[in-house]
Amino acid sequence: MNRLLLSVGVLAVIFIAAPLVIVVPMSFSNARSLQFPPPGYWLGYYQAYFSDVRWLQPTWNSIIIAAGTTVLTMLLVVPATFALVRHRFAGKSVADLMLLMPLAVPHIVMAVGYYSFLGKLGIVQTHLGVIVAHTCLTVPIAFLVLSANLKGFDRTLERAAISLGASPWRTFIHVTLPILKPGLVVSALFTFVQSFDETVVAIFISGRDAATLPRKMFDSIRQEADPVIAVVSTLLFLLVLAGIVAPPLWKSLRARLKPPALATADHQP
Amino acid sequence: MQASITRLTERPTLWPWLLLTPLALYLAIFFVVPLADVVMMSFTEPKLTLSNYTHVLTGTLYQRVFINTFATALLVTLVCLLVGYPLAYLMTRVSPRTAMLILTLVTMSFWTSFLVRTYAWMVLLGDSGPIIGFIRALGVEQPPRLLFTRFSSTLAMVHILAPYMIMNIYSVMRKIDPVLIRSAQSLGAKSGSLFRHVYLPLTAPGIANGSVLVFVICLGFYVTPVLLGSPREQMIAGLIGHQIDEFLAFGLGSAMAVILLIITLTILTIYHRRFGLDKLWG
Repeated sequence: MNRLLLSVGVLAVIFIAAPLVIVVPMSFSNARSLQFPPPGYWLGYYQAYFSDVRWLQPTWNSIIIAAGTTVLTMLLVVPATFALVRHRFAGKSVADLMLLMPLAVPHIVMAVGYYSFLGKLGIVQTHLGVIVAHTCLTVPIAFLVLSANLKGFDRTLERAAISLGASPWRTFIHVTLPILKPGLVVSALFTFVQSFDETVVAIFISGRDAATLPRKMFDSIRQEADPVIAVVSTLLFLLVLAGIVAPPLWKSLRARLKPPALATADHQP
Repeated sequence: MQASITRLTERPTLWPWLLLTPLALYLAIFFVVPLADVVMMSFTEPKLTLSNYTHVLTGTLYQRVFINTFATALLVTLVCLLVGYPLAYLMTRVSPRTAMLILTLVTMSFWTSFLVRTYAWMVLLGDSGPIIGFIRALGVEQPPRLLFTRFSSTLAMVHILAPYMIMNIYSVMRKIDPVLIRSAQSLGAKSGSLFRHVYLPLTAPGIANGSVLVFVICLGFYVTPVLLGSPREQMIAGLIGHQIDEFLAFGLGSAMAVILLIITLTILTIYHRRFGLDKLWG
């Protein structure tokens, strides 16, 4: 049993890794179709991506929309998370559940709803329309990350500040926010990535003018299997790689560069 | 101590309501109203009848799509389990360094856009891809068509959803006390019965979590079946998109969307009653 499980496990690792490994060489291929292994290598499709407005415009749209979504989501979620984590009131568990609802509804259902709803508001196929829709979809993730951080918050630090005479506002700015900063950054990052990657709602509501990168990729894969997709895929994949590998690497690098005495002194008052 | 903390956090003020109101209003307008719009359209488009529902619930095409969706979701969940369980087990048995490496791989797969992963499977399974090439090299003159079949879409969905299964099962497996296993062994449990009677029941919560999550996401999957699947074997989400995009049949599309929503919420409600929804994504 043990051996069977372990050998299937090794096969499973290969299964998970194979598709991730294959897109990188594909992006350097000079084939016009999905040939693997590639007949030859060149950088032509990278040049095509970086000089083609039909790819750059959706990339730019996605960045604007994800940034807008992140700002709006954080403005709404940060105060709400404080209310839900730090206060107890009637209807709190209902509110908790309501915030998670957008995770439970299939995106295709929301796509149908937004198609008609944003149409009535006259903001279908605009950046604003996609931001409005994406904000609803990213609320649960931002809330889950932030509330997990806030629950672990040591409130004696705030009480210490108050007892030393700081006003609640000063305490919030100089004690609460700096301690919560990593949680806020991760929450914002998750929101950004989720909006940047969101495909289904964007396919239906972003139209031609506000087409996001995932929508462009979807159309491209469906219609012609443009080899530039491999370039975009590689770039997206490298971003993920950087996001996951860079933080621990940076940490160990800093730990190594910093003399140990100084590193411990950091935590002294 | 407990009492003083509760007193501090329980001062009845208006603050929580003030802080919560903007988000509550936002979700009411931009989440609940569009959702209600879908329900409305399912009854009123093109005119006020139940005909959309009778059409969707009795038409052979729709029934076939519903059955196909359920069968696919079940199959994907099962294969995810067959892939995810051994992989999670492997992670608990190798050195911490290797486990970390495998976990990084799974995390990377999870964070890579599923369009990228769908595209990768198009390359892998394509007519001039490595797998067909390998079959040809074995001497098969006419290799089977892999792309745009039920096989290709199922395989890609398994790959895309497997991380959910793996992470859920692994988080349970790593917490299992090795003493339990050793004591079962010392009491004479053989490898097979040790697994069946001790290890499998201990990992059941992870299996349940992962399976519910994978099944529910798979029911509403749009992108991968549309891009990689056979056009003759659509899933619900694909058909909804088709009705909206091609035929502008908002009534029929909405009716199907409402049915999909009811099925999804029913499964999640049952799950929530038993385990609590917040644990699912925790």
